[in-house]
Amino acid sequence: MLKTTRMTKVVIAGTKDQLEPAISVFHRLNVLHITDFSKETEDFKIGRPLKTASKFSEYLLSLRAISNQLGLKESESGRITKSGEISSDIDEKITKLQKEVSSRFDELRNIEFKLKEKEDLLSSVKPFFGLPLSLDSYSGYERVKVFTGYIDIDIESRIIKIHSNFELFVGEHEKRKIFALFIPREFEREVQELLQEERTYVEVKVPPLKGNPPIILDELTKDISNLKENSNTLRTELDKLKEEYSEFIIAADEHLSIETQKSEAPLRFATSANAFIIDGWIPSNKFDEIEIELQKSTGGKVYLTKITEEIDEKEIPIELENPSAAKPFELLIDTFATPKYSEIDPSLFLFVTYPMFYALMLGDVGYGLIVTAIGFLIIQKFKTGGLNALAMILLISGLLSTVFGVIYGEFFGFPIFNLEFKGHFEAGILGIAGPAIAGLHLPVHRFESVKPLLLLCFGIGIFHVILGYIIGFRNQVLMHDLKHAIYTKASWMMILIGGVMAIAKIMPSLMSKSPMPTGDPILMVGSGLFIIGVILLIIGEGFISILELPTLLSNILSYSRILAIGLSSAGIALAVNKMSMNLMIKPDGVLMGGGILLALAGVVVLFIGHVINLLLGILGPGLHSLRLQYVEFFTKFYEGGGTKYLPFGHNRKYTEE
Amino acid sequence: MVDPSVLDPSMVAANAKGMIAIGAGIAVGLCGIGAGMGEQAIGAAAVGAMAEDEKFFGKGLLMTVIPESIAIFGLVVALILLFVF
Repeated sequence: MLKTTRMTKVVIAGTKDQLEPAISVFHRLNVLHITDFSKETEDFKIGRPLKTASKFSEYLLSLRAISNQLGLKESESGRITKSGEISSDIDEKITKLQKEVSSRFDELRNIEFKLKEKEDLLSSVKPFFGLPLSLDSYSGYERVKVFTGYIDIDIESRIIKIHSNFELFVGEHEKRKIFALFIPREFEREVQELLQEERTYVEVKVPPLKGNPPIILDELTKDISNLKENSNTLRTELDKLKEEYSEFIIAADEHLSIETQKSEAPLRFATSANAFIIDGWIPSNKFDEIEIELQKSTGGKVYLTKITEEIDEKEIPIELENPSAAKPFELLIDTFATPKYSEIDPSLFLFVTYPMFYALMLGDVGYGLIVTAIGFLIIQKFKTGGLNALAMILLISGLLSTVFGVIYGEFFGFPIFNLEFKGHFEAGILGIAGPAIAGLHLPVHRFESVKPLLLLCFGIGIFHVILGYIIGFRNQVLMHDLKHAIYTKASWMMILIGGVMAIAKIMPSLMSKSPMPTGDPILMVGSGLFIIGVILLIIGEGFISILELPTLLSNILSYSRILAIGLSSAGIALAVNKMSMNLMIKPDGVLMGGGILLALAGVVVLFIGHVINLLLGILGPGLHSLRLQYVEFFTKFYEGGGTKYLPFGHNRKYTEE
Repeated sequence: MVDPSVLDPSMVAANAKGMIAIGAGIAVGLCGIGAGMGEQAIGAAAVGAMAEDEKFFGKGLLMTVIPESIAIFGLVVALILLFVF
């Protein structure tokens, strides 16, 4: 919590005959972050893969080809197979599968190719239905040239002008005129030119077939249906194979991936003629457990040693450590940057502030419940990974939005409780006046209380930024020293607090145009703090840092977005409701007074309007809440740049040892 | 020119209200244009980065909303004009 997992640097050494068992143990434990060995010396070289490596990767390759051919997709809910069970007959099974699947797949491809060919022929034969000739009569002449094609005009009259010795057949196909012209070769060029000038002419090639078009068509159709039948049989056979072997293929894929990973691991180790050395990091609290496991599996022949000197902090891998509720928020940290080893991990702060900002912005019972439901549904579908974390964040934010919806008294923009707004009474959905909880009289209508809510937002902003400076102060003390921390962080804190005190006193008198309360102690202390802060800042960071002062103001003002986005969302909902109500209830409070069509239009407006507002309501508050964290909060303390902790191992999904 | 003394008080109030509304509209509109000009460059660059590597989607989206502060300042000014004054 707050700190990243403490890590210990270790060196693992042993004789080469113990390499395989050692790899096995560490792979199973899934805790060792290996530092790749790269500087070869005379005695130590980069290790070679285990002998099994090439065999496994070959299997993996053919297995992936098979699963590709079968169109297999990973499924979430698979049976868990014993790893030993798979390896016992993996050899036969893959060979068998390869034979069965590949032969069928090739045949299927072949058939599909033929099918395409036949279908092309079929479509090229069809135009010749319009002409009373057998297909073989279009070719095989020595002195006669044949032209075939579509044309819209009467060409007979034009060809007569060239020569009178010709034969012309004209017919119709799909409402287009088709012709076949037989003419002596001497006139080929002239006819060609004539046709080229005619824009409606489209050449139609005669397919290389023999016989009357109707007979050919019959034959082709028969062939095609035969081929289709064949391909269907093959497909069902492949589907059967897929069904039968899918579990095996998925499990074997995982098994082989793991085995390949294991047998290629020595590429990251240092090896001499007879020994091996692994450099790496393990979580400190797991050291004893790992030592015992290693002892047991290798009979004490492999040594695990802690290294405490010459540790470069930049090398330490970073594993974030948070209670399970705050775990999803690590995703937001990872998106920004992995923290350094000595830095505070701010996930826990995000867990509190992110949903709070979100809820303050969205704050509507209807939208809140829908967002919660969306989050819940995604969690049901994706049990792990980034999407799951995102959905968890959405779920928490949605729940809190519902709570704030009750406080604001809003349900899809409709008031929940009775209220007086701008002097006139509005009946709520529940038809009762809002209750008062702990002195807060519900509902806090957002349009009615812009001023107090705006002040609240600035208050939240000031608190949030100061929190950032406090964390920054702590980080600076650890990474540099106290003096540095005071110059760079405490100075800003003084400027902020002093500035706020002074402005709080000056603003009201400016607004009411009364004289400045110059003797006020709060104003004096505030100005003093501000000036001391500026002086410290100049000493620490130089005169140029004065230019940064306005940033602080805009940082605090930036928190007004909490109110602004909330109001715009509430405003859109209100406008949508009003528009649809005007359509549905018209005129003068009579339901469907404007006819059924207007009422239906009202329903459509209501639906589309709220869907759009809901989408904006997820995107807007989500992004702006994140922005407040990244830009306003993180910049006060966060540096990042650590390496992520990636233990050597595999999260098994379909197999177990 | 209309002699102000001719206007009755309700008209003056309505006139003032209209001016506030116009002011609020200008505040939001101009800030929106400003934010849009800022976002266009970032958006184009973000899309370019995403074409190289889809993982930039999250970061790109976040960068793109950073100039939106300007629009929000305008919105805040408009809200103060409409509700606080």
